Amino acid sequence: MLTNAFTKAMRDQRRALVGWTTGIMLLVLMEAAIWPSMRDMGNIQQLLANYPEAMRELFNLEDFGTGIGFMNAELFSALMPLLFVIFGISRGARAIAGEEESGTLEILLATPLSAARLVLQQAAALAASLAVLATALFAAVAVLSPVFGLGIEIGDAATGSLAMALLGFEFGALALAVGAITGRRVVAIAVASIAAVAAYVLYAFGKLVSAVEPWQPLSPFHQALGTGPLGAGLPPTYAWMALAAVIVIAMAMPVFERRDIAVH
Amino acid sequence: MTDVIRTRALAKSYAGRPALRGIDLVVPAGVVFGYLGPNGAGKTTTIRLLVGLMRPSAGSAQVFGMDVVSERERVQRRIGYLPGDFVAYRDLTGEQYLRYLANLRGGVDWSLAQTLAKRLDLDLGGRFGSLSHGNRQKLGIVQAFMHQPDLLVLDEPTSGLDPLVQREFLALVREARDQGRTVFLSSHVLSEVEAVADMVAMLRSGRLLVVKSVQGLKASTVRRIDLTFAQAPPPAGLGAVPGVREVHQEGLTTHVVLEGSAASLIQAAAPYGVELIVTHEPDLEEIFIAHYRKDV
Repeated sequence: MLTNAFTKAMRDQRRALVGWTTGIMLLVLMEAAIWPSMRDMGNIQQLLANYPEAMRELFNLEDFGTGIGFMNAELFSALMPLLFVIFGISRGARAIAGEEESGTLEILLATPLSAARLVLQQAAALAASLAVLATALFAAVAVLSPVFGLGIEIGDAATGSLAMALLGFEFGALALAVGAITGRRVVAIAVASIAAVAAYVLYAFGKLVSAVEPWQPLSPFHQALGTGPLGAGLPPTYAWMALAAVIVIAMAMPVFERRDIAVH
Repeated sequence: MTDVIRTRALAKSYAGRPALRGIDLVVPAGVVFGYLGPNGAGKTTTIRLLVGLMRPSAGSAQVFGMDVVSERERVQRRIGYLPGDFVAYRDLTGEQYLRYLANLRGGVDWSLAQTLAKRLDLDLGGRFGSLSHGNRQKLGIVQAFMHQPDLLVLDEPTSGLDPLVQREFLALVREARDQGRTVFLSSHVLSEVEAVADMVAMLRSGRLLVVKSVQGLKASTVRRIDLTFAQAPPPAGLGAVPGVREVHQEGLTTHVVLEGSAASLIQAAAPYGVELIVTHEPDLEEIFIAHYRKDV
């Protein structure tokens, strides 16, 4: 169980993971259960037509008439990304900086475990825990779609969940990297949160303001949500999120190896 | 035999403020080396440079002939380290924590960890968060010793330990030395170091003042001793006794400032019926000043 820093990190999160997966699955259940009555309202499209265009654009309300469109609008374009990003940032900030602030890093890094390996193992634990959340999300959507007649294919459920995990991983990796560079959890959380908000604002404005639109592909939210995420297949833009995560972690490793570990 | 620790003009500054101002330290193999200095002298800074948690601002340090920066992990393989403020994971029991560290290091004989815990009277079943300060320190000692490192680096190891456990700890240190290991321990209390060390280095304001054998240090240490007599103090006073620097009479009690051995003093005082002897822990500052006076 406690064989290395990776398994230790997974063990540390076991309760959090149970809580988060339960919460995510319940959310999916709630939304899915609403769908049949929404569908049967019939004049829903007319109702939505009266909504401001900005709102319809931002939350994909145009596709509200289908199960996929409904779930995209209700869950996958705001709430789910938010949850995955919060999980990723809080976990990433704790990985190195949290351990340094509590004082336990002192002994850990005085063992032959190298600073670089510690970062890699923590990044792997971050990815693995997000994969657990994404699997729970996938399972809930895949199982509940036929139950409530949402019409979401297994493949769509899988790629949609992958998009959430990648989004969480990108900002979680940023928090991990900033934490490894500064040794301060608050700084790691602040930088990653500001980056996430900025990225979302860029994505949202890109939808509403045509002058911003050319910059929109730079936003991880656009990369993840721009074409779905449910029903978009596996867009190549997903690769940018993984690549960005790898880059920030690779940048943090040499800095972390060279800097002094703070006395708590 | 090569030296275990060798530093060359080792210096460290924090945001421009010097904490260590270029020390040349040589620690031979197989000794207990006491690293003495008042708080803020740079003891912890030296130690954290040696175990690879910081990088020198200038100069270099070698442990077992390997550079602590470029060969950090290889050095760390052979070191057992107890920080001045040891902290483990609050939610792990002593056993879980030690097994985790043993797995990270590899090749740890688990029965040795259990033996160490037993000798220090530490229950490994309790979570770190619920342990008393003394028991936390014991766990810190076990994790430093359990992989039988060639060099033990211990920062103020006896803080928070009750006298009985302190004695057991000192026995562990002596055993390690007798097995050919080297022990580098810091303290701001002279008696603690005197009890176990073979050699002593004194540090003040980031500078190394003296490196001495403990014998040499004892011979030149100035102590304050109070002798209380049953009836009356010796009429001739104790001022003429060899080693006595100052005498101050106060009723039945004679306050003496003594340098070196107390043998002559006790001999001179004994016939007059000494009821009580109180010796005061020498203040490090006083020792430093005494050494300064001689060295200058």
